Amino acid sequence: MSTSRPQSWARVSVILVTALVVLAPLALVFYQSFLDNPFFAPKVQFTLSAYDFVLNDEDFHSAFLNSLMIATGMTAIAVPLGGLLAFLIVRTDLPGRRWIEPLLLLPVFLSPVVLAFGYVVAAGPVGFLSLPAESLFGFVPWDIYSIYGLVLVAGLTHVPHVYLYASSALRGVSSDLEEAARIGGAGPWRVALDVSLPMVMPALLYSGVLVFFLGFELFGLPLVLGDPQGILVMSTYLYKLTNLLGTPSYQLMAVVVVALVLVTFPLVILQRRLLRQAGKYVTLKGKGARQTPLKLGGWKWLAFAILALWLVATVVVPLAGIGLRSVVSSWGRGVTLSDQLTLAHYRDLWQYPNLIRGILNTLGVGVIGGALSVACYTVISLAAHRWQSGWTRLLDFLVLVPRAMPGLVAGLAILWIFLFVPGLGVLKSTMISVWIAYTVVWLAYGMRLISTALLQVGPELEEGARVVGAGPHRVNMDITIPLIRFGMLGSWLLIFMIFVREYSTGIYLLGPGTEVIGSLLVSLWGTGDIDLISALSVINVAMVGAGLLTALRLGVRLHG
Amino acid sequence: MAELTVENLHLRLGGNEILKGVGMSLERGQVVALLGPSGSGKTTLLRAVAGLEQAHAGRITLGGKPVFDAEAGVDLPAEKRNLGLVFQSYALWPHKTVFDNVAYGLKLRGTGREEMRERVQAALNQIGLGKHGERFPHQLSGGQQQRVALARALVYKPPVILLDEPLSNLDAKLREEARAWLRELIVTLHLSALCVTHDQVEAMAIADRILLLNAGVVEQEGSPQDMYGAPRSLFAAEFMGANNRIEGTVAEQRDGYAALAVAGRTEDEPLLWGRLRADRTPGGPATGIVRLESVRPADGPGPNRLALDLVTSMYLGERWEYLFHRGPLKVRAYGNEALEPGRHWLEFPADRVWVF
Repeated sequence: MSTSRPQSWARVSVILVTALVVLAPLALVFYQSFLDNPFFAPKVQFTLSAYDFVLNDEDFHSAFLNSLMIATGMTAIAVPLGGLLAFLIVRTDLPGRRWIEPLLLLPVFLSPVVLAFGYVVAAGPVGFLSLPAESLFGFVPWDIYSIYGLVLVAGLTHVPHVYLYASSALRGVSSDLEEAARIGGAGPWRVALDVSLPMVMPALLYSGVLVFFLGFELFGLPLVLGDPQGILVMSTYLYKLTNLLGTPSYQLMAVVVVALVLVTFPLVILQRRLLRQAGKYVTLKGKGARQTPLKLGGWKWLAFAILALWLVATVVVPLAGIGLRSVVSSWGRGVTLSDQLTLAHYRDLWQYPNLIRGILNTLGVGVIGGALSVACYTVISLAAHRWQSGWTRLLDFLVLVPRAMPGLVAGLAILWIFLFVPGLGVLKSTMISVWIAYTVVWLAYGMRLISTALLQVGPELEEGARVVGAGPHRVNMDITIPLIRFGMLGSWLLIFMIFVREYSTGIYLLGPGTEVIGSLLVSLWGTGDIDLISALSVINVAMVGAGLLTALRLGVRLHG
Repeated sequence: MAELTVENLHLRLGGNEILKGVGMSLERGQVVALLGPSGSGKTTLLRAVAGLEQAHAGRITLGGKPVFDAEAGVDLPAEKRNLGLVFQSYALWPHKTVFDNVAYGLKLRGTGREEMRERVQAALNQIGLGKHGERFPHQLSGGQQQRVALARALVYKPPVILLDEPLSNLDAKLREEARAWLRELIVTLHLSALCVTHDQVEAMAIADRILLLNAGVVEQEGSPQDMYGAPRSLFAAEFMGANNRIEGTVAEQRDGYAALAVAGRTEDEPLLWGRLRADRTPGGPATGIVRLESVRPADGPGPNRLALDLVTSMYLGERWEYLFHRGPLKVRAYGNEALEPGRHWLEFPADRVWVF
């Protein structure tokens, strides 16, 4: 608004630092993509040869087509199912809907690689479920290593993303509108179709674009499930390129990143536009929406069965699989699992100092790094708080940039920055580099958490302090920050879970001293040591679970 | 001496011109009410004085010192103006106790612990909440919160306090008590105050002078008696009080009075005389405004009397309100008893009718 001039320089410098941290990695990648050698090589020349190579590589074509197909397929699965589950939970008298909701959101906080490992041990060719199924039918009626299996798994695990937006849109619509249609003569299903569905259409559209976008970024699932059959997607193609020519081919990787960002950035912009409209039919803001649940009658049990089936397929099967796998010494045909029970895999972890460091580093980056990141997000959000200017519009845009970079890409770009800028090299092999990468990758998410909290602060509470005599900085310290402290605590918990879960951002930064569970899992997958992988996965899930339970206990909203 | 003056203030919000050259002054020990319909700019003017909105032209002077001067490039931020402001929503900080809410202004001014404790306690005693210092705002009733908000604005003795619809969040009964209490406090403490309200009764009760705003300009200013008893424009006449509006044409003009031929008048009906408040040409259209309480049921025909049909009588407790119709003309009036259905004569005293 108006009287913020005295502190403008502070706001502007925060925004400029953010711009530098966000734009520099991407700029370096663009620069690299036009070179013939790594940017740090003594002699580099500008050339389009890298583009020429990648764009004519058949593997790239098939990776692009696979990504497109997976993204489309998973959208087609996740949107209708997520919308249906949201309707059942928010608008009907489905039994058990209160305690089901946190379970529904669980896959959002689980590492996709962990889920993928879970599917491999549970439903792979010799999985815990596949063997009984084979003896029952004479063959295994599914194949998770096919592109169809991949689409199915990706679709099911992204249902919660749709659920989040669809359910909050449904909650915002007053049931008066539905009751008016009932009074007018429409039956319950007619009402759902003619009134409720059109109301949440903008939210469904938004979440559809979101899931499609996430489909393009997919890395963990295709790496584990697609790779054995040689199914490449954009991100796994990038990952494979690392050592294609014997030496790391920086310029080729840069070109793939540019190609990926060219797809994702327009999708991010589109999401932003759609998000503005997503709440267009929300007639009641806040908690006040009075809603009478729709009586399902006999349909109740069918609805419950759909929900239970999804829950089993998406949460129970992979988690039970990985959990079981972590306590048996061998598995496969003709093995009686009860004879094989052991805790040896967990004990074996202690033999590997890098794995122990990984566990500690993961906890550290989650707890301490999470707190520091929330502090950063708060400072940046406060820089734009109640200030309308070109600078805040720039910040709005800046936040979108890391959003368009998948974790794998952001990790790579930030690694290059550490190599490129003299003096930063010493940080490269410390957790600081991982923390910076995580903070940048989750900038948009974290900023949304904080600005949601800031939106709750009435402007007159801050104006009151101004009039009483507090300068802008005092207002922040004495009024605004104390008022959002619960929101900050909740953000810390959510960021903790996200950071603990994160696996792709740390991959290129992985080295002695920078191990985190997520990137270790990916590198262990290369060696095929499923004993260690399953034990480490269970520890990862336990950390996320502890965060989730604390969050639920404190009443933190899981919706970002 | 003028504690606060505003000269020719222009202010835009989001491309809309909200204030279009407003001027006013506030003498020491006076209460000025900013009155007007929503969108008239009254709250914006108050916020501009507080330093919460930025005007693009004009001057604001506090105690002889300019705090805003567009030409000289002076614009003191809100925290440097040393004013007290009571918000419509009270804006008590929910994370601070009542004591800390009131003490904050003193803390910012570097007041010592002991003195601060005494002054806050004195302020709380003054508003009758001396024992509630340790409570949090949500543990207080709406009326108590309103008083804490006032104590918070008064405790550091600002030269002028600003009140933004201070009573509008209270329910009707409490509002009348709070109004009397507020007026008493203002008088006993010799406060200089600028008070925004959309309620003309509240404005007349609390203020020494009223500034009536309409679409970003000052429509009329004066004492409550002037504003109510001698409105200078149709807008002012209609905004103050409860009114009947009588459309007609000017039939005669004489000695500052005009005779109105009421729309739908029959040959033998008398003309309606009223004080002429605007330039009107004979034969041209004009509007008569008369307050509800000035219209009296009469026993038969006579000068300045019209016959209308009673539609309904409404019992209001201390009196009756009647609704009369005759063609397009609708008249409301008060009386002491229920009237029989049918046609009645109503008297419109010529001195109480204003013709615009």
